[in-house]
Amino acid sequence: MNSPSLFRPVGSSRTDPVLVVLWIGLLLLAAVWLAPVFFIAMTSFKSTPDVMNSSAFALPAQWFTENYTIAWQRGRFNTTFINSALITLVKVPLGLALSAMAAYALARIEMPRKKALLAVLLFGTMIPFQVMLAPLFMLVNSMGLLNTYVGLWLPYIAFGVPYQVFVLHGFFKEVPKELSEAALIDGASHFTIFRRIFLPISLPVLAALLIMDFVATWNEFAMALVIMLDGRNWTLPLSLMAFQGEFGSDFGPLNAAIVTTVAPAVIVYLIFQRYFVGGLTAGAVKG
Amino acid sequence: MPMTRSLEWGAAPSSSPLEAAGRLQGWILMAPALLIYAAFALYPMVDVVILSFQKWNGVAAHREFVGLQNYLHIFQDDPVFWGALRNTLIWTALAVVIPPMIGFCFALALNTPVPGRGALRAVFYLPVIIAPIAVATMWKWMYDPFFGLFNDALTNLNLQRLIQDWLGDRKVALYSIFVAFVWQQVGFSMVLFLAGLQGVSQTLVEAARIDGANRLQVFRYVALPAMRTPITIVLVLSLIHSLKAFDIVYGMTLGGPAQSTQMLALWAYTQSMQIHDFGKGSAVAVVLLAITIAIVVPYLAWRNKLDAKEGRA
Repeated sequence: MNSPSLFRPVGSSRTDPVLVVLWIGLLLLAAVWLAPVFFIAMTSFKSTPDVMNSSAFALPAQWFTENYTIAWQRGRFNTTFINSALITLVKVPLGLALSAMAAYALARIEMPRKKALLAVLLFGTMIPFQVMLAPLFMLVNSMGLLNTYVGLWLPYIAFGVPYQVFVLHGFFKEVPKELSEAALIDGASHFTIFRRIFLPISLPVLAALLIMDFVATWNEFAMALVIMLDGRNWTLPLSLMAFQGEFGSDFGPLNAAIVTTVAPAVIVYLIFQRYFVGGLTAGAVKG
Repeated sequence: MPMTRSLEWGAAPSSSPLEAAGRLQGWILMAPALLIYAAFALYPMVDVVILSFQKWNGVAAHREFVGLQNYLHIFQDDPVFWGALRNTLIWTALAVVIPPMIGFCFALALNTPVPGRGALRAVFYLPVIIAPIAVATMWKWMYDPFFGLFNDALTNLNLQRLIQDWLGDRKVALYSIFVAFVWQQVGFSMVLFLAGLQGVSQTLVEAARIDGANRLQVFRYVALPAMRTPITIVLVLSLIHSLKAFDIVYGMTLGGPAQSTQMLALWAYTQSMQIHDFGKGSAVAVVLLAITIAIVVPYLAWRNKLDAKEGRA
């Protein structure tokens, strides 16, 4: 707020009234954007009679935290939360490690048919997996992996690899040759160079991809829907969907269930915000 | 740089032992990612095409070849397919225009020196982080005809005549879902546009202002030309995202009421996984896949040319 250049356009030293009006408009829009989140959070603390009788915008008459206990039990969040956590915490680092290895090889080792491999991978960043839900189900089923973590990890990795390889390949390619050539001459293997030189210098990019992939994996619904058929193996989005179907008119616990499902991703976002922008724009705009 | 090349790979022509060892290590590094990608992304894509020429109920041991029968069925006899295609096209047309336009305006506004830009950007981007299925659940409840936010607000504003059964009315349900989608998607285009605006030369903007160009002229002649590439990228990504619309429809209406919000991705899933007609479901999926590829391939070719032009191989 104290910065002298606020409300002043480039090359001007006066406060610009248009920018002040614009700013007020932005604040109003931000309020509109936050309204649904606020509404859900408030309702999650209202008892059912309170929801029925008070205005949707009113604060809770009394803070009814029991909704969270009820939601936790009905949604069997004990199990689903652990499932989601295990699936995400294993898939994300493992998938990123495999992507980084492949990206290094494609960027720094003279390989035949490199261009073709890259093109096939790039194609994968654009193809909707929603088209292949049935064959994916059949494939995982034929391997006897339905309702298992492995059965979900493998397709998750497969659909995470293209974008991550694409971004990391772009990054590794720009690393100056001098950094790795001395080590190569000294007889170091590519494994060593990858681990000792390339991984450390790409930490910011890896962090961005890690955070983005965490949120994407945590939120994934369609693939889990066809692979985790047994309620005991559900992830949070699946159990939220079931919750909505069964107890959709029990508004307090329903909203508590929404908050519980969304909270981890939102917390991660608020903490690591700046990485999101980095990860998103690294792939899309700069190429 | 021929000097460094000869240093790294030795003066010997093509295949030195060092190079062969390097190549082997390269394959080892690439193998896990590529194998998983081939097995769980490429193979299912081929399989969906094969399945679309077959008849299979999900349990029978044999998948029977039926030629074009599934396609004939979905084009001629399926009462839902054309509606789903129409909805997908309407949805896509809206999704390419509206969220990017709003996102562009937000990006322009946030690219000016106003206080709290970081916080405002975080607010507009927040819905992108929320699981689409949770967005669906949130909005379904906000659209609740009796206790939801919208009808409550309309009552408070004395606009009772505007009260709707937002998701229960066949004429408005698709657009109700779309509003939730806009809320979620705007932040995505906004962030990409903001990154693009960083590439607009500030010196150029300043020079134009000094030469007496007004705000609109600066936008028209300095910012817009520099934004051509980001704009194209956002439009194509929005197009591809919108074709895949699945979670949000599944969570809000499951395609109802009376299939009025049915879309290709969801209909392909429903045919295969709910009705257990994998052949017809795959035929629907292949139509969607064909539309996507018709957009993706020219786009990738364009990107490739652009990269080559800017020296990024």
